[in-house]
Amino acid sequence: MQDTGKNIIIAGVGGQGILLFSNLLSKYYSKLGYQLKISDVIGLGQRGGGVESHFRYSTKPVLSPFIKAGDVDYLLSFEQTETLRYLHCLKDDGIVFSSTFELSTSSVNTRLEKDMPESKTELIKQCGKKTFIIDPEKNKSEDFDISKMMNIVMLAIYAEFRGYAHEEMMQIVRESVPAKFVEGNLKAYEKGIEIAKAF
Amino acid sequence: MSFFYMKQENKFSTLKMMNGNEAVARGAFEAGVKVASGFPGTPSTEVMDYTKHSYPDIYCEWSTNEKVGLEVAIGASFAGYRSFAVMKTVGLHVAADALGGAAGSQINGGLVLVVGDDVGRIAGDDYNDVRHYGNMFNIPVLEPADSQEAKDLMIKAFEISEEYSTPVILKITSVICKTTSAVAIDETQTYKVSCRSKYKVSFSKVIMTTMMMNAKGSEHPKLTKCFHDFPAEMKRLAEDCNDFDINRLELNGKKIGVVTAGTPYYYTKEVLPDASILKVGMVMPLPAKLIRELAAHVEKLYVIEDGHDIMEKNIKDLGVSVIGKELFPKFPEMTRFTPDIIEEKLVPDAPKRKIMDGIPFRLPVSCAGCSHLFISQILRNHKIKAAADVTCGLIGCFPHMESYSLQKCMGSSIALAHGYNVATDHKENFVAMIGDGGFWATGINGLMNLIFNDSQSTTIIVDNSCLAMTGGQHIASSDFGFNYKPENKLEIAKVCEAIGVKDIVTVDAYEFENLEKAILNAVNSGTNSVVIVQKPCVTKFKLPKGDVYSIDQELCTQCRKCINIGCLAIESKKGEDGKVEIVINEDLCTGCGLCSTACKFDAINQ
Repeated sequence: MQDTGKNIIIAGVGGQGILLFSNLLSKYYSKLGYQLKISDVIGLGQRGGGVESHFRYSTKPVLSPFIKAGDVDYLLSFEQTETLRYLHCLKDDGIVFSSTFELSTSSVNTRLEKDMPESKTELIKQCGKKTFIIDPEKNKSEDFDISKMMNIVMLAIYAEFRGYAHEEMMQIVRESVPAKFVEGNLKAYEKGIEIAKAF
Repeated sequence: MSFFYMKQENKFSTLKMMNGNEAVARGAFEAGVKVASGFPGTPSTEVMDYTKHSYPDIYCEWSTNEKVGLEVAIGASFAGYRSFAVMKTVGLHVAADALGGAAGSQINGGLVLVVGDDVGRIAGDDYNDVRHYGNMFNIPVLEPADSQEAKDLMIKAFEISEEYSTPVILKITSVICKTTSAVAIDETQTYKVSCRSKYKVSFSKVIMTTMMMNAKGSEHPKLTKCFHDFPAEMKRLAEDCNDFDINRLELNGKKIGVVTAGTPYYYTKEVLPDASILKVGMVMPLPAKLIRELAAHVEKLYVIEDGHDIMEKNIKDLGVSVIGKELFPKFPEMTRFTPDIIEEKLVPDAPKRKIMDGIPFRLPVSCAGCSHLFISQILRNHKIKAAADVTCGLIGCFPHMESYSLQKCMGSSIALAHGYNVATDHKENFVAMIGDGGFWATGINGLMNLIFNDSQSTTIIVDNSCLAMTGGQHIASSDFGFNYKPENKLEIAKVCEAIGVKDIVTVDAYEFENLEKAILNAVNSGTNSVVIVQKPCVTKFKLPKGDVYSIDQELCTQCRKCINIGCLAIESKKGEDGKVEIVINEDLCTGCGLCSTACKFDAINQ
């Protein structure tokens, strides 16, 4: 095993399938024999609250369940306000994958706070790290809306970027999601590979 | 870690990924637990869910409240069977009297209290620490640092409970509960229950201290059978725990020594690899000899513990000087430890990293279509003063909604409103809103109280058929549950009637005008009244989605009345041209139509 391990933060809002995403990824790394710690921090409010998952895999025992700011290799984010919350946690050579999806925050909706004046997508692009922006709107076709399955799309993008065997990852998807959703999920996975190849 | 971990392995063991809650349930199974009871509470609710679903041989129940849950476990333990009760620390406040009764009494089957401390959540209960109960009642508290330990310490807790005749608290935090890591499992292990009847009686300390004081020296068996020398048992435990393998002294560098427990142990190991560490698996009582040994080995001794400064005080009581909260100030400076905090304080020249400024906060919001939104809206529209309870509806207290002016603990709102009304000579009808979970838990007492004290008050009971806030567990009025039978279901209206409420009306939450009328009638009735608002929890029962609503931008004046309903589906968004628009998120909208009743300009339609 050349790769001795990585620290990943997976971020987004409730209902985006982040827990399934980290579950699928944990199966992949478990199969390869890595040791893992995955810590899910879920805010109050079942829908629409921030969700943050600290995912660590290593050839050595993983100590802290939380990744120290500055130790994050990959930030995989499904919502761009949430992306901004973790940019400072990345290593100098850390890499960002972020969806342009945005769920407006309740404090801004209700005028308790002002929204940031800048474009959030631009802030992410200019963060000084290698960034990959995924726009679910631009990538949806009439017969297939990927915005509902961004977790699987992101999984494929990440796997392509890391040079992982897609067939193995797709097998994990097949084994893990209910039978009626397998076809749609695999379609989303293929779409993810397509998006990643176009980067 | 490796030392403790290797010991668990045998030729049958396989590694399984489990979160802390799942591992505690596994520990209960391996310990041969017969009865599991308790009350849901984040973060430890899933301990019961996993126990029920993975180990069907164990009798499981969600009790009406934490006190009842613990009493059930105490009774089962006296019968000779290993039992546990699960709750969060805030719930243990409710059950504290029951714990006080069990502490220091004779224990037959091991009795364990699994308690979740919700550390580190901005919207959680960061002000509680279950270990205070260990100090107050003089009972042991164990704290795991990962899932493997959660399983192992659950088993150890039963052994300690029986060996030293004491209830044992297993403290789990939100970090333990929600972190997944590998646990060694012996898949061939079968479920074994044993019955241990050491004592014929088990009485509270009040009875026993009476015996102790009056019967000293008497050998009469009628007296000695009631006598239980609990202080001696705890003294023995405090001595023995220096040799427990769950308390581990890792002597290393001489500069820094740290006494730590739980996940902060791993933060310390990662940030200070050269430090000498005493990792305690039992945080109460502390292994005094090991602490002194570590103190003698190092130049500076620190204590790194989540929650309050409890180990710190107990170490100082031993006469050992230790640095704790003077270096690591507790709440509000921190809600829980992180590796970053330890690095900032103890690693010279550590790089500082700061979160970007101005990122907006996500204030908790109700799910779209929640019946609470209808009630909050009506109370606000009619400026009805009201108390909220601990329920999803407490979101109505937040500043964007301002539907409630009073909110305290679970089950309190009915008595709070009654107190207000008595003090103000019933001149304004201060209304109580309570969820069905809070009503059955303790709120029902408030209702009985106001009736027999001849008070008039209006209570709105939100009947959503489950305990929604913790993920939809069953309650007495649910149509499902672990031990559910239709004939045993309690009807809220019938119970209110039996208690003696004069005016009871049941309405569907989505019939806005009826609901409004019912609430206004009740408030103005001049007698004690209950409005039962029915709608199953949208999230738990996945209600079918109606036709979604949208906002006609031509008609919208941006008065923002709809936004202040507090519905997650209504957003204020900047369009492509930079202009702000109020829009309805069609993925989130359930079609309940509340927003259309709020719009004065007919801009919101299906």
